[in-house]
Amino acid sequence: MTSASEGVAASAAAPSDPMAWKLHGRNSAPSVRLQRITKRYGQVVACDDVDLELHPGRIHGVLGENGAGKSTLMKILIGLIQPDEGTIDVHGSPVRITDPITASDLGIAMVHQHYSLVEQLTVWENVVLGEPTKLNRADACARVAALSERYGLGVDPLASVTRLTAGQRQRVEIIKCLRREPRIIVFDEPTSVLTPAESEQLFSVLRRVVVDEGRTVALVSHKLDEILHATDEVTIMRRGRVVDRLSTSKATASGLAQLMVGRPVSLRSEAAALGSIETITANVLSSALDDAADTADAADTAAALTTTVPSRPVVLDVRNITVIAKDGHRLLDDLSITVHAGEIVGLAGVEGNGQRTLGDLLASLVHADSGTVIVDGSEVDIHRPGALSAAGVGIIPEDRHDSGCVLDLSVAENLVLADLAKVAKRGVLNRKALEVRAVELMRAFDIQARSPHASMRSLSGGNQQRVVLARELSANPKVLIAAQPTRGLDVGAIEYMSERLRQAATDGVGVLLISTELEEVLTLADRVCVIHAGKIVGEMSRSAIDLERLGLLLGGMAA
Amino acid sequence: MIAFGGAIGDVLTSSTMYGSTVRFAALLVFAATGEWIAEKAGTMNISVEGMILTGSFTAALGSYLSHNVWIGLLLGLLGGLLVSIVQANMSHRLSSNQFVVGLTLNVLAVGLTAYLNAQINPTVERAGIIRVPVLSRIPLIGGALFGQTWLLYLIYPLVPAAWWLVYRTRWGLEIRSVGENPQAADVSGIDVNKRRRQSVYLCGVCAGIAGAYLTIGQVGSFGADGVSGRGIIALAAVILGGWTLKGTVGAAIVFGFFDALRFALPALGHTVNPQLLATLPYAMAIATMLIFAHRGRRPNALTRPFVRGLT
Repeated sequence: MTSASEGVAASAAAPSDPMAWKLHGRNSAPSVRLQRITKRYGQVVACDDVDLELHPGRIHGVLGENGAGKSTLMKILIGLIQPDEGTIDVHGSPVRITDPITASDLGIAMVHQHYSLVEQLTVWENVVLGEPTKLNRADACARVAALSERYGLGVDPLASVTRLTAGQRQRVEIIKCLRREPRIIVFDEPTSVLTPAESEQLFSVLRRVVVDEGRTVALVSHKLDEILHATDEVTIMRRGRVVDRLSTSKATASGLAQLMVGRPVSLRSEAAALGSIETITANVLSSALDDAADTADAADTAAALTTTVPSRPVVLDVRNITVIAKDGHRLLDDLSITVHAGEIVGLAGVEGNGQRTLGDLLASLVHADSGTVIVDGSEVDIHRPGALSAAGVGIIPEDRHDSGCVLDLSVAENLVLADLAKVAKRGVLNRKALEVRAVELMRAFDIQARSPHASMRSLSGGNQQRVVLARELSANPKVLIAAQPTRGLDVGAIEYMSERLRQAATDGVGVLLISTELEEVLTLADRVCVIHAGKIVGEMSRSAIDLERLGLLLGGMAA
Repeated sequence: MIAFGGAIGDVLTSSTMYGSTVRFAALLVFAATGEWIAEKAGTMNISVEGMILTGSFTAALGSYLSHNVWIGLLLGLLGGLLVSIVQANMSHRLSSNQFVVGLTLNVLAVGLTAYLNAQINPTVERAGIIRVPVLSRIPLIGGALFGQTWLLYLIYPLVPAAWWLVYRTRWGLEIRSVGENPQAADVSGIDVNKRRRQSVYLCGVCAGIAGAYLTIGQVGSFGADGVSGRGIIALAAVILGGWTLKGTVGAAIVFGFFDALRFALPALGHTVNPQLLATLPYAMAIATMLIFAHRGRRPNALTRPFVRGLT
C-alpha cells in the first residue's frame, strides 16, 4: 500500500520518473481526481484510502477481482453511493456527487453491466428515461438514430428491448450514456455479456469516443485480456486498496495477474479466473500438438481424443427439449445434449440464450413443453418436483441466494437440506446427527465458518458456494449440473471450485458446466457445446478448439 | 339450464339492462382505472376498497353540508386521497408491507365510516340526469351511455386521460419503468418511491370519485355496506384486463353486467335465490380470473418494495 500512495504523491508533485510524466502530465489536468476515498460497510472496508486520476483522451483500466472495491469506487463516482471519507475533483474543482443526476450534470455517465434497461420499454423510451424534459417521441428517435449512426451501432429506436440480444442491449446502454454528451464515461465489466466479435466492436467504439472526441473513459474489469487490449493505463485494486498503477504498454498478463491476486500465479491453472483466453488456448493447443506428435497423425488426434470419453455410459441425455415462454418466445428450442460419465461438458454461450432455462429445467423449476430427460438410462418425469434429484442429478444453481441455499438457516441446516431423511427419525430432526454430519462435510469441503450453527448469510460467497457443492456432491450424484458456479467468487474460490469439478469428473460423475465465461468453459471442459437462442448450434472437443469458429457460433452466425 | 338461457335472452334484449350495466360498471371503471395506474407503478393497491368507501362517505358529507353536488364530488375525491396518502407513505416511504397496510385500511374505513354515518347521518343531494341530445337516442345503448347522471360522464374524459398520462407523458414512462424495473429506473435518476406514491395518490383520487359517484350519482344515500367488495372487483378487473387499460375497462363492464344482473333477473320475473344471486359478481370474478389468470403480463416489480442497492 505504501508504494501505491507514494506513487501518487510523486506523480502529483514533481514527476521525476519519465514514465510517470508521460502517464500523468502529458496533456492538461486530470478530468477526474478521486482522493483518499474510503467506504465502509460495517466491518468491511470496500474502499480503503483510494486515489484515482482519469485523464481526457485516455482509457483508464481499473482491474481487480470480484470484491476488490472497483465497483464501489465507480458507484461513488456516479453518485449511487456516498463515500465515508475523501474528496472528488472534476475538471479541477471539488464536487459532491449525491445522486446520478448530479453526476450527469457534471458530465459523468456510466454504462452499466446489468439492470439498467427496462426490458418492456422500447429502445427510445429507455434512452430518454430519467430525462427532465417533455416526452417527444419523434425527437428522441431521431437522436437515437443519429448517435447510432455516428458510432456505427446499428440500433433501431423503435425496437422493444425484450427482443434484443445482450450485445444489442449494451449498445442501447452506450447510446443512453452518450446521449447526454458526457465528458467522462465509466464502463462496468463491459464484455461480460458479449461475444468475442461484439467485444472487438465495442473496443473500436471506445477508441473513437476517446481519441476522436477527447472524452475520458474508465473501464472496470476483472479480465486481463480486456485490460491489456483496450486500455492506455491501468490501476490495480485488491481488497479495497490500490496496489499499483502503470502504463498498459508496460504491463504483462502475468505481472497484472500477480498484482491483482497478490501472489505469483500460474496462468495455466488460473487462466479461467483471470480471463485470459490466449493463455488457455495456447496451452490447449500445445497439449493437443504434443498429443499429435505422440500419435504421429495430427488429423486423427481430435477423433482419437474424443472417442476415449464416449465409450463410457451416457448419464444425462436431454432430448429435444422445448420450453416456450408465456409470450410465445422459445426459451429452449428442440435442445438436445448428452453428458457421459466422467466427462465435463461445457455449455458455452452469451448470457440470455437459454442457459438459465436449461439450468432451471434440470432443477425442476420450469416446465418443458416437449422433450424428455434420461438420467442413467431411465426416463425421468421432469414435471414431478424432486424426481430429477431422486434420479441422481445434483445441481449448483445459477443464483445461489435465490435457489441454492436458504440464507437465514444455519450452515448445518443448509448442508442437510436436500437429504433430511439422513438426520431425522419419524419426522423429528436429530440435532446431534445433524451436527456430526455438518462438521464432517465442513471438513471435507474446507468450509470456513465460525461453527456449524453460524447463519449461512454470515459466510463469504466462496464458502456459501462450497456449502452448496458439499450438499450436492455428498448425495453421490450421477450427474452434476454446475450453472455459473464461479460467478462473483474470488480467484482462490474459483480455483477450488474448478478443482472440485475436475475431481467429480475423475470420480465418474458426468458434469454439465453451464457458463457464460468462455475462459472457464475452455479450461475445464472436455467437450464444448455452444448454445444460441435456445439451441445447440455447435460442438467441439477440447483438443479441436477453433477460437474463430467458436466466436462465430457464440454470435449465432455459423451452424 | 334452459330457463337460465331464456333469462339471458330476456336480459340482452332489455334496454334497462344496458343502462343498469353501465351504472354499475361506471363505479368499477373509475376505481379500476386508478388501480391500473397504481399497479403499473408496482403497487397492488387493495386499499382501493377503503378508498371508495371513504370517498363515498365524505361525498355524502360534503353534499349534506353544502347542498352542492360539486362540493360533494370534491370531498369524495379528497376522502379517497386521504386513504391513499396513508397507504402510499406507509408502503413506499416506510416500507411496510402493502397488503397488510391495505387490509388494515379497509377494515378501518368500514368502522370509521359506519360510526361517523351513525353520528351525522347525512342526507345526500343527488346529481341530476343529463340526456345528451342525439347520442342518447341511439337505440338500445344510447340511453345507457348518454342518458345518465352527469357524474358518470366523467369516465369519458378520465379513461383516455389516464391512458395518455401513462403512455404519452414523461411521468407515465417513469411510472411504467418503476413498475417493471425499479433498479433501472433508479440508476436512470428517477425517484422510484416518489413515483410510486404519486401513482397511489392518483388511484386514491379515482377511487374517491368512484365513491362520490356511488353516493351522489347512483344511490342517493350513503350505506356502510354500499361498496361491499367492489374495490376488490376493480382489482380483479385490472388482472382480468391483463394490465392493459382497454382490458381493464372491458373487464369492469363485464363485472358491471353481473352486478346489474342481480337486480335485473328478479325484475324481469325470474326467481332466483337472492343470496345466491348476490354472490354472482364475486363468483364470476373468481371464475374469470381462473380462466384468464395466465393471459396478461403483469408489471415485473408488482408488489415488490424498492430499496436502493438491493438487486
